Amino acid sequence: MVKLNVLNLEKSEYKGGKSSLCPGCGHDQISNVIIQAAWENGIKPEGIAKMSGIGCSSKTPAYFLAKSHGFNTVHGRMPSVTTGANMINKDLAFIAVSGDGDTASIGIGQFIHAIRRNLDMVYIIENNGVYGLTKGQYSATVEKGSKKKKGTPNEQSPIDLCAMAVNLGCTFVARSFSGSKKQLTALLRAAMSHRGMAIIDVISPCVTFANNDESYRSYNYVKSNDEILHIVDYIPHFSPLSEVEVPEGEFSDISLFDGSTLRLETVSEDHDPGDAVAALRAIHEATQEGRHVTGLLYYNPDQPTATDTLGLSETPLMGLSDEEMRPSVESLHKVNAGFRAR
Amino acid sequence: MDKIYNDFTINVATANGTGSQSSNLIILHSMFEMGVPVSGKNLFPSNISGLPTWFIIRASDKGYQAPGDDTNIQIIMNKDTWEKDLGALEPGTIVIYNEDAKLPVERDDCICLGMPMTTMARGISPKMARLMANMYYVGGIAHLLGIEEGAISSAVEQQFRGKENAIAMNLQAISEARSYASENWGDVCKFAVAAREKSNDTFLIEGNEAVALGCIYGGINMLSWYPITPSSSLAESIINWIPQLREDDDGGSTCAVVQAEDELAAAGMVLGAGWAGGRGMTCTSGPGISLMSEFIGLFYFAEVPGVIWDINRTGPSTGLPTRTQQGDLSMCYEASHGDTQHIVLIPGTVDECFEFGWRAFDYAERFQTLVFGFGDLDLGMNRWSTAGFEYPSEKMDRGKVIRTQEQMDAIPDFGRYRDVDGDGIAYRTLPGSGLAPILYRGTGHDEDGIYSEDPQVYHQAMQRLKRKIDGSRDVLPAPVIREEDAGDVGIIFYGSMENSIVEIDDMLEERGMSVSTCRVRALPYHSEVEGFIERHDRVVVMEINRDGQLHGILRKELPKHLLSKLYSVAYSDGLPPKAREYADRVAEVLED
Repeated sequence: MVKLNVLNLEKSEYKGGKSSLCPGCGHDQISNVIIQAAWENGIKPEGIAKMSGIGCSSKTPAYFLAKSHGFNTVHGRMPSVTTGANMINKDLAFIAVSGDGDTASIGIGQFIHAIRRNLDMVYIIENNGVYGLTKGQYSATVEKGSKKKKGTPNEQSPIDLCAMAVNLGCTFVARSFSGSKKQLTALLRAAMSHRGMAIIDVISPCVTFANNDESYRSYNYVKSNDEILHIVDYIPHFSPLSEVEVPEGEFSDISLFDGSTLRLETVSEDHDPGDAVAALRAIHEATQEGRHVTGLLYYNPDQPTATDTLGLSETPLMGLSDEEMRPSVESLHKVNAGFRAR
Repeated sequence: MDKIYNDFTINVATANGTGSQSSNLIILHSMFEMGVPVSGKNLFPSNISGLPTWFIIRASDKGYQAPGDDTNIQIIMNKDTWEKDLGALEPGTIVIYNEDAKLPVERDDCICLGMPMTTMARGISPKMARLMANMYYVGGIAHLLGIEEGAISSAVEQQFRGKENAIAMNLQAISEARSYASENWGDVCKFAVAAREKSNDTFLIEGNEAVALGCIYGGINMLSWYPITPSSSLAESIINWIPQLREDDDGGSTCAVVQAEDELAAAGMVLGAGWAGGRGMTCTSGPGISLMSEFIGLFYFAEVPGVIWDINRTGPSTGLPTRTQQGDLSMCYEASHGDTQHIVLIPGTVDECFEFGWRAFDYAERFQTLVFGFGDLDLGMNRWSTAGFEYPSEKMDRGKVIRTQEQMDAIPDFGRYRDVDGDGIAYRTLPGSGLAPILYRGTGHDEDGIYSEDPQVYHQAMQRLKRKIDGSRDVLPAPVIREEDAGDVGIIFYGSMENSIVEIDDMLEERGMSVSTCRVRALPYHSEVEGFIERHDRVVVMEINRDGQLHGILRKELPKHLLSKLYSVAYSDGLPPKAREYADRVAEVLED
């Protein structure tokens, strides 16, 4: 029997076109997780807007959610286009894909300011440390000393996008690995249930230019140096907690905006995602030891989003009638009279 | 003394940040109050306090609004420019100066009238003396020109609305100055104001505020902006009017405002807004357009509606950031890489600022493209007369948007970029609708919006875009043509040059030329522009830039047989156009 989600939709309803990325690319695994998470969460495909910039990662919206409108914009400027669309239709669920070149270099300004506004979106960074479409230049996130297949090792300090996001007060910050399907799915489902800016920095090996063992982002390196903060499990709002089998060991539950729950099972230490200092410590300690820390790093619910702070009309602005958009004749008479009386 | 009524130019030289703007506006408004046809221009520095600034007030019964070619009354308050201001004057000029500056006034050939302005101001308020001193030249001018006391009070009340104390103090200062001038200067001024019948309907307003109101009545849904002179007051004016005009019954705003992190983001937000089905707009100046250019190409190629107002300042680069120019025209028309062409609306009056403010959104949605509003500092930041704005004469045009499945079913062979109607404009659907979703892209795409590098697909898409924009020509505002019966010379001009054209025209007629004029109000240019050129033997394209940008556009697009008729007069020094400068140049190019 075909499996259906809460909307009675098959998973195929969430699929996209055929990928044109290199065979084995981590990005394709992430696309599959996006399809899985959106389907499992029961989000209407037509209610989603897929956003991206430019680069290998930004091509992927063509490979998932074919029933959703999307915009493959310009390099590094996807956040501003999302901001404008969000102002006009705050009911859309924005799922954005960007890369480390797109986000950490050319688009770092827009990334920062989208966080400052707490733009209501899921922002996935498919982070491989190289510019793939232009054939393998280092990006700004690549670790010092890391080496791609050809050329000399990277000598510059990396930008840690998660640490930056925590510092800027981003309301949902997670890191994962394209090879960790279960963790990534749970985190992405939680991100989709979050109201505000949710960032998931996904380490995604570039099989063509940097999957060698000297690269800190190769599949093998990440697999053996992934420090998992906690095992995560996502419990949707439509399956009550009481029905969920309680796992053994210690755990804590995090309630998400739509009533769903993210269950964190402690692994190494008791990381409190509400503690920004602990999040930064976890990131920096892992970096010092040459490891990648994954899981939900920081979470701060109930913060006003970009549209909340503007006091906009309840109706999404794209749904307003002409009369609601154009003030009356009488009002213009008043405006003219006001100037004449000045 | 025989008086010359309502035909003179006053130049006020002060320093930025000394409160002189209030004094200058009081002179301007008090004359306007009496029905004197008057215009004012603020020549200010890129500075908050301390650098020199000049304010030019022109009274003209003939309706001339250009800054006069000569100064008739010079007010000097600024020590830093004192010598230079004095040195530039023609013999016979009336000079009003602050004696407390203790600087020499060695112009025996001028009529020099001093007043201890700061000392007198100290009598009213020792603390405010530096600012109040400026109010004393208002009193001096009022005496010399015979500005009515009622008009002065009314202008002071308007300037300091609601601040009773300030009104009283400033009125006292003006009154003291008037008495002083009357006792010490006497009747030495051959210039005077004469009250004229004034329509109660008219008022003065800055072009930027007129555009802002136009946008409000055009249904703007999102304003994104990044501060830049001289466009900031346009955005701020929209923000000021939203609470009164754009709130729904529950107090929710129907226009979102985002102060962007830079101009690139501002343009991206407009793109996102247009894509999502809203009316988005941003305003900027030349440097901002340069930064927005990448997005502008995406608007054009992905066919997303949006509006950008460019309030021109003097370029290139940072240029003269507080001075005016028409230097961005060719940039706006062809902004971004590759082949592009954008609709440009060019208002020449504050009434058109309002009208094009709302029309811009209709054109953007109808043609699914970016529309530029093209203003400049002169029109945008100076005050101009209007009899009141007229309510939009047409319903909003939301363009070819499919909102329901039935509408979709009625279109045979739908594709996002398929020209089913033959006008180059395809149908679009909105995100969230679930109707024919596509991934919009700046990469090559076929008629269904699918990625394509096929040579024929690309070629045909670009030809359709050309046809689409070309189809807007005669839909856009037609030129305003003032045609003489026996006109062998035609002048084509645009934008704020409107304020100088009457005077230029008169100067040329005095030299025996018969001149017709044609004010272009949009690009791509209307077919009537071509007709105008056909009907004249010689046509001068006159503009406020160095290279003759409209001249270049016309040369590129006009039929060959018209090209030999075209002459270019292009001049720019950062200042609003003085009539004689252009009249001389027109005469010169036609004589050659």
